[in-house]
Amino acid sequence: MALYILRRIALSIPALLGLILLTFVLSRVVPGDPAATLAGDAATPAQIAQIRAQYGLDRPILEQAVIHVRQVLSGDLGNSIFSGRPVAEEIWQRLPATLELTFVALFLATLLGIGLGLVAALDHNGPLDHLVRVVSVGGLAIASFWLAIMLQLQFSMEWNLLPLRGRLDVALGQVPRLTGFMLVDTLAIGRFDLFLDALRHLALPAFTLALPGLATIARFTRSGVLEVLQKDYVLYARAAGYGRFRLAAIYVLRNAVTVTVTQVGLLFGALVSGAVAVEAVFDWPGLGTYAVQAILSADYKALLAVTLVIGVVYAVVNVAVDVAQAIIDPRVADQ
Amino acid sequence: MMHRLLRCARLVLLLAAAPLMASAQTAPRPLVWGDTLPATLDPHAIFDVPSQFILLNVYDGLYRYQGNPPRLEPWLAESHTVSADGLTWEFTLRAGAKFHDGSEITAEDVVYSFRRLLAMRRAPAAAFTPVLTAEAVTAVNPRTVRFVLSRPYAPFLSALPLVAVVNPRVLSQHVAGDDWGSAWLAANSAGSGAYRVNATNYQPRVSLDLERFPEHFSGFAGNPRPIEAVRVRPVLETSTRVLALLRGEIDATDSYLPADQVERVDRNPGTRVARDESMRVFVIRMNNQRPPFDNHDVRLCLAHAFNYEGFNNVVLRGFVARNAGPNPNNLWGNPENLAPYAFDLARARTHCDRARAAGVDLSRPLEIHVQNELQQTTQAAQLFQSDLRRIGINLRIVPNTWPNITSATARAETTPDMWIHWVSTYFVDPENWIGQMYDSQFHGTWKASSWYSNPRVDTLLRAARESLSQEERQRLYAEATALVVADSPDIWVYNTVNLRGLSRRVSGYSFSPVGSGGEVRLMSLEN
Repeated sequence: MALYILRRIALSIPALLGLILLTFVLSRVVPGDPAATLAGDAATPAQIAQIRAQYGLDRPILEQAVIHVRQVLSGDLGNSIFSGRPVAEEIWQRLPATLELTFVALFLATLLGIGLGLVAALDHNGPLDHLVRVVSVGGLAIASFWLAIMLQLQFSMEWNLLPLRGRLDVALGQVPRLTGFMLVDTLAIGRFDLFLDALRHLALPAFTLALPGLATIARFTRSGVLEVLQKDYVLYARAAGYGRFRLAAIYVLRNAVTVTVTQVGLLFGALVSGAVAVEAVFDWPGLGTYAVQAILSADYKALLAVTLVIGVVYAVVNVAVDVAQAIIDPRVADQ
Repeated sequence: MMHRLLRCARLVLLLAAAPLMASAQTAPRPLVWGDTLPATLDPHAIFDVPSQFILLNVYDGLYRYQGNPPRLEPWLAESHTVSADGLTWEFTLRAGAKFHDGSEITAEDVVYSFRRLLAMRRAPAAAFTPVLTAEAVTAVNPRTVRFVLSRPYAPFLSALPLVAVVNPRVLSQHVAGDDWGSAWLAANSAGSGAYRVNATNYQPRVSLDLERFPEHFSGFAGNPRPIEAVRVRPVLETSTRVLALLRGEIDATDSYLPADQVERVDRNPGTRVARDESMRVFVIRMNNQRPPFDNHDVRLCLAHAFNYEGFNNVVLRGFVARNAGPNPNNLWGNPENLAPYAFDLARARTHCDRARAAGVDLSRPLEIHVQNELQQTTQAAQLFQSDLRRIGINLRIVPNTWPNITSATARAETTPDMWIHWVSTYFVDPENWIGQMYDSQFHGTWKASSWYSNPRVDTLLRAARESLSQEERQRLYAEATALVVADSPDIWVYNTVNLRGLSRRVSGYSFSPVGSGGEVRLMSLEN
């Protein structure tokens, strides 16, 4: 197993190196002059040229690429060309918000998705199966931007139940940053009222983000369970007198969710990188909104760092998924 | 059935949320300002509309604009003198003004601030670098600062409010290499303004907390109930911004509320819309050095083909004021009875036909670049596209971003055929508009991106820049404006009426085109 894990990690390294180079080249060939943006509204051409030289933007692109790779490998992501602050620091401030939102969304998607998929399979072609199908198709088809606004209108404006935006009510005071995860930090300082407020702020963005994933997981679980239900051992277990739900819980689900685990892993990466629209509508101060601001201000250092962080998240999750699969089904590691 | 289910769901949620809602309601709410934050808090590193909020609330300058129309008022300086040749300016500082650390503001601090600005050479320095060197700023005594300009520069005083006075004693502890403390000041403050930054809760472009500085020299005169705490929480999406205001989560939107939301915000009992004519001109640029825009008839054709009334009165619902030339209507320096171009397709067709007869090729599609995130630029381009089609001109709309377009305007060859933007108030002088837009010495900057060149206009604008007589400057700018409008290098559409959604618990809101009404010192709050 250890060899298997090491092999998976080793395979991620060239992929990440490729990502660093590719994103750098892409960021420098698209139009847009960060020096002009940095110089500001009232800058003269001389000021822009000076900034270009100061940041090495006037050097040959190959030289810039080598410098960039060397910097990243030494752990230096550079300074934001716009705010002048270290990019790593800015990302470090934003990453927990995105991860918290992603974890909660993924938890919702997995819990509800597996549950719905199982129920649908057990009621194959029955009314519950049809209902889950409607939810799945709807979940995949509805644009998260639209859903977010609809949820805001209904739950915040119409019913006045949940907050519209942000991570915490400004009138409730400040939470010292311990981990950056609001749910953890509020509990750590013993403020349960703030914890509940953070949870209420999470509800709408997490559900919006979770819905497409929920639909995917429900579909994969349903088809996986249906396939396992056809196996001989299930038939014999049934003959031995196991009840439907006991059978499903003990024999079917574990064999059926291998594919679902892969989906959950892929979904995690997709949620981290795909939270842009949800973060924008709910003013969630995470990596998504940071990336949008970086794009609009041509802050290529920030953009490269965001891409790299998302790439690392993908790589880590991929390894974790491979390991999880090997644990659920040891035959995977032997292959 | 569905209704009953929804009602049940609502009841369950209400019960679950009840204890929390009660606790949220009992706490007093600070002012929640929903406008955009700048990328950095360093007042010498950047100058754009969001950074003015920091400049006005966290820092002080020698002079400051107040009210609408803006009056230039002594601020940290109580008076000034200027030599007969217009080169030597001396400012006397008011006594007793203090930085947030309690130390008194002296002439040396002003000198340090200007030297830092000039050394960093970032955006706000652009107004001074052509006429001022670091050595030319000196402290005559602890309360007198002297500036010696290399040549007369009439907008000098108008541009002074751009410069924040920073505290060198605080900054010197955070200098890294030759950065003048810029990395530290990006997320902290070293000012003397009516509010100070709580740096522990600052997150760039996400949240900024300000606390009142009770020892501010103004003494918060005229405001018996100044606001103690401000929470700046920018709201990215327009839809969320409006909903957050209506729901009371924020007390103010930005000052560019979409026209179609005005009625909705006004109708809501707890909110209102402040409408204030600003000095921010909406302009459609044309690259005058690229065919077919190098032909005067083509430019006139296009200027008569834009449906000004339809755009201003229907699309923008009349919440703007038609503007005839490059300077805002409400600024001095415009000729009397300056007539705006009229929407007249027959006349446009005549000019285009005349251009074609002169051999101009109008068959290629013309490109107009719009700013993706600013819907109005797209709306204007679409309206223009449909009218131009009626006179046989094909207009292609290219979505783009501000950084991309402004970097493209560095050279005439890369500047788009046409693009749309606003020119905001950086300082209140025609130099900010016609001076920097149509004097050919500014070619390569986004403001001069029509690449217009007229030697007579250059002479007039340069003379106006150096003249010490207000009457003469008025005359020179009026003549230059008349010439520019006759040449039609661009299409000037309207002067902005700023629309800011406000909670009714905010009183004392006072708009000025510099800062767009973001001076919290003047406001009060009902809790």
